[in-house]
Amino acid sequence: MSAWPRPEFSAIDLVDPFEVHVGPAYQEGQPGSRRFAFRVDERHTNRRGVLHGGMLLTFADLALGAAAWDMTDQAPCVTLGMQTQFLKPARMGDIVDVQPLLLRRTRALLFLRGDFVVENEPIFTATSVWKLLGQD
Amino acid sequence: MDDRPASLPEGSEEVSFAAFAKYVGPIWRLPDSENGGLKRFAFLATEKHMNSAGSVHGGMLMTLADMAMSQTSRLSSGARSCATISLNCDFVGPGRLGDLIEARVRVTRKSRTLVFLSAELVSADHIVLIATGLWKIVFES
Repeated sequence: MSAWPRPEFSAIDLVDPFEVHVGPAYQEGQPGSRRFAFRVDERHTNRRGVLHGGMLLTFADLALGAAAWDMTDQAPCVTLGMQTQFLKPARMGDIVDVQPLLLRRTRALLFLRGDFVVENEPIFTATSVWKLLGQD
Repeated sequence: MDDRPASLPEGSEEVSFAAFAKYVGPIWRLPDSENGGLKRFAFLATEKHMNSAGSVHGGMLMTLADMAMSQTSRLSSGARSCATISLNCDFVGPGRLGDLIEARVRVTRKSRTLVFLSAELVSADHIVLIATGLWKIVFES
């Protein structure tokens, strides 16, 4: 197993208590094009010994939320909805990473997509809609 | 030691035994309602479940939806294991610290290999999340 975190990644300074609880999570790159990653450990598994869907959903919310934050110059926004597909199980020790993509931005809404991979193979995909607070 | 929340209905039992469920739990199965047509699961929102805006984190709400709908897939199909294929969630309102957040799950359709489900998550009698999703029955090879 390769060393983790890889040198290009740094730990994200997580603030939300729930993210701190399930973290750590890592990032690389510049705001607006950041890549996010975490390593599956024993805490994240289900009774079949594979990555629990809840952890992927939480990481998706974290990563797409952080990307939304970058893309709005750090304006507060909330998740309106998230649509997900589970393509393939991930296992202990796997490193899951994603580079979120901004599909469209309006005054009040952000549309994002993330394709989550383990060693370049897609395992999970999510789209989400975010609302900028205070915008109509 | 019994750490059941006081707001938990009589007859509820803990269902969080696997690593992640236990780590973010405890999560409880509540007695069915509507003559068994509605399966119910819940957790008590504590400090560890929150976001920095003072609401229950969306990841925890989706985790409850995923667990509740997966377990309902197993209960309704009799399968030992069901895998989430897709899950769609809309965040309708915030969940609050100290609330018992309850998932109410309904089976929309069941085929030989698939289960279609919908769920509402309720916190103190207001809806916080609605979800639909698709589960695949896993056949042991």
